[in-house]
Amino acid sequence: MHAVRTDDPPPAPAGPEMPPELDDTTLVVRAREGDVRAFSELTGRHQDALYRLALRLVGNAEDAQDALQDSLLDAWRRLDRFRGDAAFTTWAYRIVTNRCLDLLRRRRETVGIEAVSERLAAPDAPERTAEVDAGLAALRVALQGLPDEQRACFVLRELEGLGYAEIGEITGASETAVRGRIHRARQTLAGVMRSWR
Amino acid sequence: MEVEEELTQIEPLACGRDAADVWDHAVAGTLDEHERTCPHCRAAAADAAGLDGVVHRLAAERPIPPPTVLDAVLVSVRDAVAAELRPQDLVPLDSPEGPARLARPAAARVLRHVVDRMDGMRARSCRIETELAKSTIGTATADGFGVSVAITVTARFGVDLASVTARVRQMVVAAGEQALGVPVTRVDITVEDLWDES
Repeated sequence: MHAVRTDDPPPAPAGPEMPPELDDTTLVVRAREGDVRAFSELTGRHQDALYRLALRLVGNAEDAQDALQDSLLDAWRRLDRFRGDAAFTTWAYRIVTNRCLDLLRRRRETVGIEAVSERLAAPDAPERTAEVDAGLAALRVALQGLPDEQRACFVLRELEGLGYAEIGEITGASETAVRGRIHRARQTLAGVMRSWR
Repeated sequence: MEVEEELTQIEPLACGRDAADVWDHAVAGTLDEHERTCPHCRAAAADAAGLDGVVHRLAAERPIPPPTVLDAVLVSVRDAVAAELRPQDLVPLDSPEGPARLARPAAARVLRHVVDRMDGMRARSCRIETELAKSTIGTATADGFGVSVAITVTARFGVDLASVTARVRQMVVAAGEQALGVPVTRVDITVEDLWDES
């Protein structure tokens, strides 16, 4: 289960020793030196965006929450390897994306194609039952039907608003490949949406 | 599917235009004269417009994770930190009643806090090394443990760096001795970045 909020969340309250205006780099450095409070502030700041990405990649709240939890733990363990040449968000998006793509791969291997299709057709029960926008419902299902790499690029671009170069860093693909994947995803989804026009 | 993923070329439209460019122009509202009149471009632009509206509605949704996710992460992280604490991560405290030690991350947080409270300064890294040293607290000198501190800070653009770093040094030494009870034998300060208050 997850709540849906349509406006931006208010900033998380800072701990008594954490000035609210600390930048990500400062929080990363502190967390790397064992400051759990700095890590809490950092992850609290970005967890909503990371969760949205996970939810749209794996298609259901339960798996998205597991993927987010595993990713954040992974981020803590690998902070030493984060050198700060990219933004923390890019690095964290990459961890979440890889975790979700792994999960989808394993899910396919263990449960078989039929069960996957069934699950994808019912991406998220709470949203589905509350769905009054048929076009949106169709998009949700069509999005889950895309090849995983295409979906990842499309979500990062069209739903999270990232640029081609950053998506390339996150997915480990060239900018040209990213552009191609996004275009093919758009074409597939536009084909589905034509019937709703 | 593997083969399809390898295809990175975008098939141009029948008029020769790059299909992805036309799509981007349609979404951004920057179609040129040709794109507005060419039937191939107009079809692509119509597809873009048809998808764009519903994509915007999906993007406007802001699902949030339940607080239990981050809570569980932080519990695991705290457990891991406690389990991984090695003897060298403990700073011996000056305690006449018996041995007392403080975890290095906690000691670092105390010193960072001192810097954070200064106007126009923020602490980043704070590394504390224990050393056997001749220390002076007040007027008494004794052989014992001291610490050297290497701290990196960021400063607000325009602050007088010479005077604030002198003040950082003074405050870190004072906090080490008063709040932690550890003589600070050396303080290395690096100003790593400057920020604008906007």
